[in-house]
Amino acid sequence: MKSLASTAAAPPANAVERGTPLASGIKTHLNRHFDLVVGAITLIAFFLAWQFARPLGIPGLSAVEPPTRVVAASWDLLSSATFWTACYKSALRILAGFALAQIIGVPIGLMMATNRMAFHTLFPITEILRPIPPVAWIPVAIIFWPTREMSTVFIVFLGAFWIVLLNTIGGASTIEESYKRAALSLGSSRWHLFRYIVLPATMPSIVTGMVVGMGISWEMVVAAEMIASDTGLGYLLWQSFEINAGAQVIVCMLAIGIAGFVSSALISRVGRLLTPWQGRR
Amino acid sequence: MSRGALSFRAVRKVYDPERKAVLALDGIDLDIAPGEFCAIVGPSGCGKTTLLNAVAGFETVTAGTIQLDGRTLATPGESAAPGEDRIVVFQHGALFPWRSVMWNITCGPVMQGRMSAREANEHGMRLLARVGLKGCEDKYPNDLSGGQKRRVEIVRALVNDPSVLLLDEPFRALDALTKSVMQEYLLELLVQFPKTVFFITHDLEEAIFLGDKVVVFTSRPGRIKEVVTVDIPKPRSHEVLTSARFLELKAALSQVVHTEARRAFEAGEKEMAR
Amino acid sequence: MEARTCAPARTPGAGSGEIAVSHASVGMYDRDGKPLRLVEDCSFRAERGLFTVLIGPSGCGKTTLMNLIAGYIGADRGAVKLDGVDVKGPGWDRLMVFQETALFPWMTTLENVAYGPMVRGIKTMPQIRAEAGALLERFGLGEFKNRYPRELSGGMQRRGELARALINDPLVLLMDEPFRGLDAMTRQLMQEYLTHLFEETRTTTIFVTSEIDEAIFLADRLVVLSRAPARVAAVIEVDLPRPRRFEQLSSARYAALKEEALNLLYAEAAAAFAETGAGADIKEAFEKRHAAD
Repeated sequence: MKSLASTAAAPPANAVERGTPLASGIKTHLNRHFDLVVGAITLIAFFLAWQFARPLGIPGLSAVEPPTRVVAASWDLLSSATFWTACYKSALRILAGFALAQIIGVPIGLMMATNRMAFHTLFPITEILRPIPPVAWIPVAIIFWPTREMSTVFIVFLGAFWIVLLNTIGGASTIEESYKRAALSLGSSRWHLFRYIVLPATMPSIVTGMVVGMGISWEMVVAAEMIASDTGLGYLLWQSFEINAGAQVIVCMLAIGIAGFVSSALISRVGRLLTPWQGRR
Repeated sequence: MSRGALSFRAVRKVYDPERKAVLALDGIDLDIAPGEFCAIVGPSGCGKTTLLNAVAGFETVTAGTIQLDGRTLATPGESAAPGEDRIVVFQHGALFPWRSVMWNITCGPVMQGRMSAREANEHGMRLLARVGLKGCEDKYPNDLSGGQKRRVEIVRALVNDPSVLLLDEPFRALDALTKSVMQEYLLELLVQFPKTVFFITHDLEEAIFLGDKVVVFTSRPGRIKEVVTVDIPKPRSHEVLTSARFLELKAALSQVVHTEARRAFEAGEKEMAR
Repeated sequence: MEARTCAPARTPGAGSGEIAVSHASVGMYDRDGKPLRLVEDCSFRAERGLFTVLIGPSGCGKTTLMNLIAGYIGADRGAVKLDGVDVKGPGWDRLMVFQETALFPWMTTLENVAYGPMVRGIKTMPQIRAEAGALLERFGLGEFKNRYPRELSGGMQRRGELARALINDPLVLLMDEPFRGLDAMTRQLMQEYLTHLFEETRTTTIFVTSEIDEAIFLADRLVVLSRAPARVAAVIEVDLPRPRRFEQLSSARYAALKEEALNLLYAEAAAAFAETGAGADIKEAFEKRHAAD
């Protein structure tokens, strides 16, 4: 109980952290290595459990092909043209749907945020359509669009579209008033205001929308390909499942994961180019 | 007054974030007598707060010693844990918002068994009345104004009867009017409950008005640039602000402080240009 | 080179525009639809080439008054005139330096400064760039012209904003607590900087602050505003000699002016407390001080 008075006058946490003394600096350094080691141990443990799930009789996991078989299967798959065609097809669909979402979503969002009339015209319909999960659109999309390809792209588009739209509206309608006022005082026309203030001020939100939208695009393309297509990674995954090629299923899963990761990283890079004034975070 | 002699001997502090050694404090030699009010002025980043934290026990020193009444508070590799003999009042306040004013004031001594709840309450009430807060004991801190909170915090510190009061820009966020009255309250309280005070401020006028001694720090690395004894008799009230002696001291010190501030500013910009 | 390389190269001491606010009233509705009076029958003059500081209790309507002069809002009654002509809407002849810095974060310092001349299309881009670069050099920001505002310190950002305004050679500079958020020492240095700049250019300036030291140090004329709705409570002529030096802050005259202004503000704050119950601290302060007298 001796230290209670000091608790009574307890410092806010940052009072102590304001600087890092030498001793605790070394400690943080060690801690960082420790963190890595802990992470690695878990990872190794996971792979071991997976590999020996069958002999050990671990429920659930034992039904899955072990990593060694997956590696072998991936070798086969990676050297086949089918796999690369599937990758190519999926990537093309992502590109088309995602690009459309930007091309349509950003202007509509900017319009809705800056024009009261546009907002009140479009807001009710977006509020009705937005909560519907894109996957639920698949049947309608198949009926509506003349080709399966178009339906798939449409689903991808829809997945990214809402996020892009919402982020654009959010960003453009919360621009700091003083920026606009300063620009007006300095003699800006309406076009200047849009080009030099509204657009760049909204850009960080648009980029956020792009990054999140890209993630959703991959979810959508896999779902749509499973149901509405006969090509692509989603289709290949499902196909592998149907022919009972367990190891191949895992390879497809991993491939989709990697593709999603790479495209997200790519979008983040593009985002940084679009908003060079923002620090790396 | 026998408690509260604070002494700094060759205190030095090096920060080492990611191997880039930054010298924050260098060769600090300073003696603060029991009951003395020592005001520290200096540009931002000159290590004032680091020194205060070292006294409080939140930070270590790289070289030198800090002693309180002959007891070592900090020396390389060793520092005394924070304790009720050195109470800190922070810039932004640290009252517990979920407890009443009176609980905030009395929790320390009561929980440590240094006072009975009743004694502490009576003592607290007396002090609250002294600072014009009669009737506020059952309120929550957030029901008080900024100036009232600061007063509660100073009262809380005093109830613990510390040897040293460590104040880190306690009136910074207040407007000019409230600030000047807070300063008068603080001086009045200290007449009744004399304490050694280690007071950090950016405001030279405040430093001279409150201090028995004003210490000016250089810009980083913090060294002692000048120590000036304020020979204006206490008790002081705001009238001294217009007195000839006060203005004379202010003129002399502002020259020194200003030079340091400019140096710090220019160094800061040069550093950014790299 | 033409005469106007660095923007504020007017004949020194000649002064620029003059703002006259006459019987202006501004009201608005609060969130519950109750009418609020922010400025009431307010009249004052910011004379050519003078530094006028508006000071008043917090929430008294200082910012509203500035927005009125800048043309961001209109008056319900009364008028704001610039050199005898009614102010209608924002314009580059009255430029505002904002409370929290308003450099556009997505433009480099140079692009920010070049923005005004660029959108007004008064010169070619190379000309504008050269001029903006020279001005930044003069403001000690030469090395930072290709940096984004985020990469500047608080003091640099304020100087950048001053440059962005002054390149347009405005008739009146409006500054709404521009040094808020800077630490005390940087703030003092910025005050000095602004004073030097003003003494050189004599651009008519209206400056809002709630810091009394800042007000007196900068001002030729101190307009003390009343509690809300803002009216003019008193005008104090600050007769400290120019050029101003920080040493003057230790003069007896300065101390007397400060006392006078503080007492006026106390009185307004105490009256506001009597009416609305706001500002308990200040009311207490007032009573305590007068009990001591």
